[in-house]
Amino acid sequence: MDPRFIRNFSIVAHIDHGKSTLADQLLLKTGAITEREFKEQLLDDLDVEKERGITVKARTVALRYKHTDGETYELNLIDTPGHVDFHYEVSRSLAACEGALLLVDAFQGVQAQTVANAYAAIEQDLEIIPVVNKIDLPVTRIDDVLEEVETVLGLDPYGAVRVSAKKGLNIEDCLAAIVERIPAPQGAPDAPLRALVFDSKYDSYKGVFTYVRLKEGTVKKGDTIRFMRGGSDHDVIEIGQFAPLRKECKSLGPGQVGYILTGIKELDQVTIGDTVTHAGRPAAEALPGYQKPKQMVFCGMYPIDGRDFEKLRDEMQKLALNDSSFSYAPETSDALGFGFRCGFLGMLHMEIVQQRLESEQDVDLIQTAPNVTYEIEERSGDVYKIDNPQDVPDAGVIEEFREPIARVNFILSKDHIGPIMQLCADRRGEYKNTEYLGPDRAQLTYELPLAEIVYDMYDKLKSVTSGYGTMDYEVIGFKAADLVKMDIMVKGERVDALATIVHKSNADNRGRQLCKRLKKEISKHQFEIPIQAAIGGRIIARETISAFRKNVTAKCYGGDISRKRKLLQKQKEGKKRMRSFGSVEIPQKAFLSVLSTDED
Amino acid sequence: MHRSAYTHVPFCRHRCGYCDFTLVAGRDDLAGRYLTALDQELNRVAPPTPGGRVELDTLFLGGGTPTRLDGPQLDRLFDALFRRYRLAEGAEVTVEANPSDITPDLVGRLADAGVNRVSLGVQSFDAAALTTLERDHAPTDIPRVLETVRRRIDNVSLDLIYAVPGQDLRSWEATLDAALALEPSHLSTYGLTFEKGTAFWSRRRRGELITPPEESERAMYAAAMDRPAAAGFHQYELSSHARPGRECRHNRAYWCGDDFEAFGPGAANLIDGVRRTNHRGVLGWLKRVEAGESSWVEEERLAPEDRARELVMLNLRRTEGVEREDFQQRTGFAIEGLLLGDLEEQESLGFVTRDDAGVRLTREGRFVADGVMAAFL
Repeated sequence: MDPRFIRNFSIVAHIDHGKSTLADQLLLKTGAITEREFKEQLLDDLDVEKERGITVKARTVALRYKHTDGETYELNLIDTPGHVDFHYEVSRSLAACEGALLLVDAFQGVQAQTVANAYAAIEQDLEIIPVVNKIDLPVTRIDDVLEEVETVLGLDPYGAVRVSAKKGLNIEDCLAAIVERIPAPQGAPDAPLRALVFDSKYDSYKGVFTYVRLKEGTVKKGDTIRFMRGGSDHDVIEIGQFAPLRKECKSLGPGQVGYILTGIKELDQVTIGDTVTHAGRPAAEALPGYQKPKQMVFCGMYPIDGRDFEKLRDEMQKLALNDSSFSYAPETSDALGFGFRCGFLGMLHMEIVQQRLESEQDVDLIQTAPNVTYEIEERSGDVYKIDNPQDVPDAGVIEEFREPIARVNFILSKDHIGPIMQLCADRRGEYKNTEYLGPDRAQLTYELPLAEIVYDMYDKLKSVTSGYGTMDYEVIGFKAADLVKMDIMVKGERVDALATIVHKSNADNRGRQLCKRLKKEISKHQFEIPIQAAIGGRIIARETISAFRKNVTAKCYGGDISRKRKLLQKQKEGKKRMRSFGSVEIPQKAFLSVLSTDED
Repeated sequence: MHRSAYTHVPFCRHRCGYCDFTLVAGRDDLAGRYLTALDQELNRVAPPTPGGRVELDTLFLGGGTPTRLDGPQLDRLFDALFRRYRLAEGAEVTVEANPSDITPDLVGRLADAGVNRVSLGVQSFDAAALTTLERDHAPTDIPRVLETVRRRIDNVSLDLIYAVPGQDLRSWEATLDAALALEPSHLSTYGLTFEKGTAFWSRRRRGELITPPEESERAMYAAAMDRPAAAGFHQYELSSHARPGRECRHNRAYWCGDDFEAFGPGAANLIDGVRRTNHRGVLGWLKRVEAGESSWVEEERLAPEDRARELVMLNLRRTEGVEREDFQQRTGFAIEGLLLGDLEEQESLGFVTRDDAGVRLTREGRFVADGVMAAFL
């Protein structure tokens, strides 16, 4: 296919600004799907995504569009995830495009992820078409929104397309703009093949689908291809595109987006960011690849029933196959036995993984409180990273304890600036900048320790701003801080899985909160249970769960006996779902309570 | 062979808000059908011939409200029972009675039928508590009621309820003192429980009923043990207090693990280690019996070890606890062998005590008996 008639683009937007709906409309208007097949959120084919209304894993669709110039164009829509956790996937999708539709809600306007995504597109040198969505809303502020697009993002608002994806209004204009304004890809069909691997997917029948964007050359069925970084050669069994259903084709030429099947069965044999070339006529140089995604959040995951360990391992392996940004490694805890330390891009990513593990396998999990990665420099000069509070060495040997710092952008109304500044100050934030987007809205930039934002910053922001504030962050490096490991003792015994890393200035407070929280989560026992927080050997907080004082059923006659026995047995059963430490049963929720920063 | 029998009489004027027993309120019209069906159900014990009669040590009529039946109906009930059963020398025959039903005529009829023990649903001497509990008598009725009963039947037990929403320790102590002043032969003291499906359950959920704090309930239970003891009563079970020789032999049969028969809707028996429970609905039970079907809807055969553990749960309710030899004889298990470390743990917590005779709850253990029993199940 002549690259002149190809356009490769993504849609980027803040969450809920209507990205999936617009994508569906583009499919519908180009006949890729019929009205009958039109269903909401078509591109989000993972259940988890449907439930949460967000796109996690990038997908791609080839559309045929007949333009008013009489020519038929191939428009490759490369979907991107919309959540801050999945920044990495956004950039790798954008690398396969020449342009992007920047979708902005006609009422909500530019939000934090609009900014983050727009910058990502600008960085990749993409042509950006602003699209104002939801123009059918009863109340819009289209002019203000366009002004924000200009002042915040530096984009020309005059060419903005105004649509209602929900109603299908002006979708044609959108398609026309894609053809007219996004540059056609370049590249000679007869040059040595260079195709960027931007995604892969495992299918139990076909093996691994390698998603590629051809930069130069042509690939056909039967060719022998080579992964330039991986160094392995494979025969092409099938090539094709998704439109949106899988459609085989004879060849893919420069600028085209599609998939290659080679009979590879293991997902880890295909590296995202690698370059595909011909084994017989290799390109001289590979395309610039991607950086490995950085896992910033870690937690322990343990089967409640130790016998489920193998089952859990199998499931994690399967999951890691389809999600290169998830990592896992076996670990042992005195308290929880055998389990895994898992790495995630962020909290949402973690929740999604946990949800998948529990729903796809009948494994009850105990998850420990997530933590970020820390960097330790010992007096000896050794520098290493730790992703588990238990690995913190003795305070005596630490020269410097460093934590990851993120640059955080908030977009909020003027009235909320005060409370958010207070929140950031409470969390050791360093103020950087305020930029007004218009008379009433501002972008606030802070540098905050990642540990202070990953757990609940998003929720706090939403509650402080009544849901209107948005945020985005990016990790910019490590910085030394006065950090200490806080241990938790339950009935005199240290529970390693409850240990956390806290800032010294905040330790007493966190210790008190945590003890209180645990007091709530751990139910009464037959005996008193002291809960203590300690730093080094020093106790900084203490709570006591009192024993049952009265717990006796008054009546037990002939007809009550069975029921009574079963009731008591059930109480005992319930405890089996918990982990016991010595004689104390700690429910799963308690391990996560470490996170909570609520004062109650 | 069983030597105890229970009969459930499922009629009440009104279902009190806390009650989850099998009964129908305001359906006295079903009494005739009930008596016919009961007669039918009794056929499983023995055909109604004088020679085939089974000897009983204890017979207990509970409810519901047995005294809801009128005179002729009561006569029919006893007739049905005594065509299958005969009473051993000194047998105990108990009837549960609602204080407002007591008349000289009723008492006479009961006594004539052989009833020698009456358990009165007094519940409280606090008028406010009685209102909360939806009872239809006043505290001031009780002395006269008791006097009426005692003209023919001297063995009278009073049921009392504590931890009623709104009730404090003082009110409960006053109730205990009022009850003791009437010199009954037996007291049953029950902490109010909220059962799923009752009006109280939903009212508590809605915040309309507020239970006393745990410490206060504990103090009430302590008073329930101490006040009767000071008045010469002997606590022989978690909720039961008797003057010497006036323990309820029928209830003791449950806690000792003896066999017993049971009739009427929702009743459960225990025969040769098998427990069978009747249909829990009054109409369901009626229909099954009338159709000639078995009234049993559940059968429970526990494995020997589970039976033994259940017996621990029952025995521990008694003041004498689990008696080593008796337990081994009944279950085939040595108590220590069965309970291993759990016993030591509960002992170290101070909830049970052990000696040559057996294993018992300590006073502290009584307060938290459910947790101790659960540990042994």
